Amino acid sequence: MTDTPREQELIVSKQILSIEQTFSTGPIMGHFLRELRDNQRIMALRCRANGRFLLPPREVDAWSLSDDLEWIEVGPEGTLCEFDVVYYASPDPLTGATRNVPYVIGWVILDGVEGLSPLWHLIHTTDIPALRHGLRVRAVFAETRTGAMEDIVHFEVLNTGETGP
Amino acid sequence: MTTDAFTIAGKMALPYQYFAGATSSRCIVALRDEKKILASRCERSDRTVFPPRQVCDLTFEDLSDNWVEVSDRGTITGFTIIRYAEPYQPMAPPYVLALIRLDGSDATLTHIVHSEDIETVAIGQRVNAVFAETPVNNILAIRHFCCVPTDSDSP
Amino acid sequence: MSTSKRKHRNVGIIGCGMSVFSSHREEVNQPEMIHEAVAEALADAGITLADVDCVVHGNMELFEMVHQPDMWHSLGSGVVGKSGLRLTTGGTTGMTLACAADNLVASGLHDVVLAIGFEKLQEGHTTGGISNMADPLWGRKLQAGALTGTTAQAMIDEFGKERACDAAMKLRIIMDEHAALNDKAHRSFGLERRYIKELTENSPPLVGELRMIHMCSQSDGACAVIFAAPHKIKEWNANPAWVVDHETVHREENVVFTGTKSTHRVASERLFARNGITNPREQLDVFEMYDPSAWWGLDWLREFLLLEGDEHLKMVENDEIGIQGTFPVNPSGGVMASNPIGATALVRVAEAALQVRGTAGRHQVPKEVKRALASGFGGTLWSVLMLLARDEPQGASQ
Repeated sequence: MTDTPREQELIVSKQILSIEQTFSTGPIMGHFLRELRDNQRIMALRCRANGRFLLPPREVDAWSLSDDLEWIEVGPEGTLCEFDVVYYASPDPLTGATRNVPYVIGWVILDGVEGLSPLWHLIHTTDIPALRHGLRVRAVFAETRTGAMEDIVHFEVLNTGETGP
Repeated sequence: MTTDAFTIAGKMALPYQYFAGATSSRCIVALRDEKKILASRCERSDRTVFPPRQVCDLTFEDLSDNWVEVSDRGTITGFTIIRYAEPYQPMAPPYVLALIRLDGSDATLTHIVHSEDIETVAIGQRVNAVFAETPVNNILAIRHFCCVPTDSDSP
Repeated sequence: MSTSKRKHRNVGIIGCGMSVFSSHREEVNQPEMIHEAVAEALADAGITLADVDCVVHGNMELFEMVHQPDMWHSLGSGVVGKSGLRLTTGGTTGMTLACAADNLVASGLHDVVLAIGFEKLQEGHTTGGISNMADPLWGRKLQAGALTGTTAQAMIDEFGKERACDAAMKLRIIMDEHAALNDKAHRSFGLERRYIKELTENSPPLVGELRMIHMCSQSDGACAVIFAAPHKIKEWNANPAWVVDHETVHREENVVFTGTKSTHRVASERLFARNGITNPREQLDVFEMYDPSAWWGLDWLREFLLLEGDEHLKMVENDEIGIQGTFPVNPSGGVMASNPIGATALVRVAEAALQVRGTAGRHQVPKEVKRALASGFGGTLWSVLMLLARDEPQGASQ
């Protein structure tokens, strides 16, 4: 038929996929989140078979495959073992909103936890260059709590001058 | 047994886009601007297909330059009546969604069929395309199909 | 954990195809882009669609926001009337496709299997899609796509800032030089070695010392690889790269802390032990690594090659990983040059196969390639390795 035009119009369909979701906590995460909400307590599971702490708490330890687990209260203070200073403004996947940068994500070994089982959360600091491994931090709980990870607003850096192990 | 299990409301909201590609774009522009229905013809498999495609899915022949104009009239080869409402539907129920083989095409397309009395729609019903009056960049450039009398223009 | 694997029969890669890799492919839709790779793979193998028994198809979930693409991609994939599978394992999808195709032929279920990986990242939201991989109750709010600066920080702590940053940028420049030799590569900037410090300092930081220039591209593209049984290879007088073995290792956590063994190292230890590799730098001739950033590429050399101390830094500082070097890494330019994520790990297999078959063109390494290693990476530290060889492996049942 006719020749294809040199500058062809190319069709694009632009959409936003927006889906309401409902997540089931299950009894284990449910217990953890309820303790955050009702008692401002951070509960970890300890595997009796190998002593490993589970954060997030799971029904079975992935290493020992044992479900012989006990709840142990940990924190709310702890030691910063790794952190990321994020300059890239990635979207919040729950809302599509762009996050303010820079912000700090940290991995905290809470007091009472044995081994490398950190809790992953936001770290609040006004002095990013001063961040270093071993800083002492403490969970700051939200005034209004809903039974979600956001019941901890962030971890604040403690000015103790002390560094952990 | 007591349980701590409960549910948490969540949401996922992410933007995306889909590029029709050069072949499908040509077809949509022809529907929209010229009210012409362009199909692809594969000589090797002896098939004319609408919606068109760049490559024949059976023979892998390049069909990107093998355009054939097909009729705006066709025959219903299958249909269903949508009787429930949900937000992503193109119109309020009840309406007929049908498989339509256009005259000159060997493939069927899915589209909406308008009828004075949807309960009388049947396989074999003759239909013709009604084009959208405002520009639309997808298959709804054909707004819907309308039922026409069977004896007036059988192919 | 299984340390022994036995194939019912050998499997060879006889055809590789790749679409153009680019940040934008508005002129083709998804099935049409896939078709470019499929048509090239069939032509490379010298066979037709009728010779293919089964199509294995995969990409990342949530990246293009479309459902069941294996079904409507049949317009370009060639699966119509054939057996088909869809797989998705995050960033390792491409390598999992290769493992599945190898298993399907090795088991005797199919004689000829076509593996297809694709991604059209322009159509979706990559970091948004990746962030949704995190447990919705635990980490989805925190996940910043696939970006982390912890590796950079650990290397700076271990080797000092200047040496670590220079080594990471040297690796980045070498990859850029390789990409210039690869006609399919999405991008090659012409980075110059004399500006090594400026290139680092002037690049905007993303997370910690991970900067924009260290990071992989976001590409649209597809890759297709054809796996065949020995009697078909003989019948067609094909030029095969034999699949010797593959290994998959992953774990629950998505961060590796100092003092724990990486999944990469475990994967290498298992693969090498099964295949008599005691000195990988001597016994392997080229390595196509899934290196999402210059920092990870640098750090992972040590893990995959089971090195200690600063050997991996020296390999980069001494140009050993260059295409002319003693142990070429990513002669294709790697993932920093092109990253259509669901295809990327399959591209590593394809590129390793091209090197073994001697058909890589301008980016063919000058030394003889008897054995090549390819890696895939994704998700919660998934690590998948595939070992290819010029000579047909011994020991299969038939």
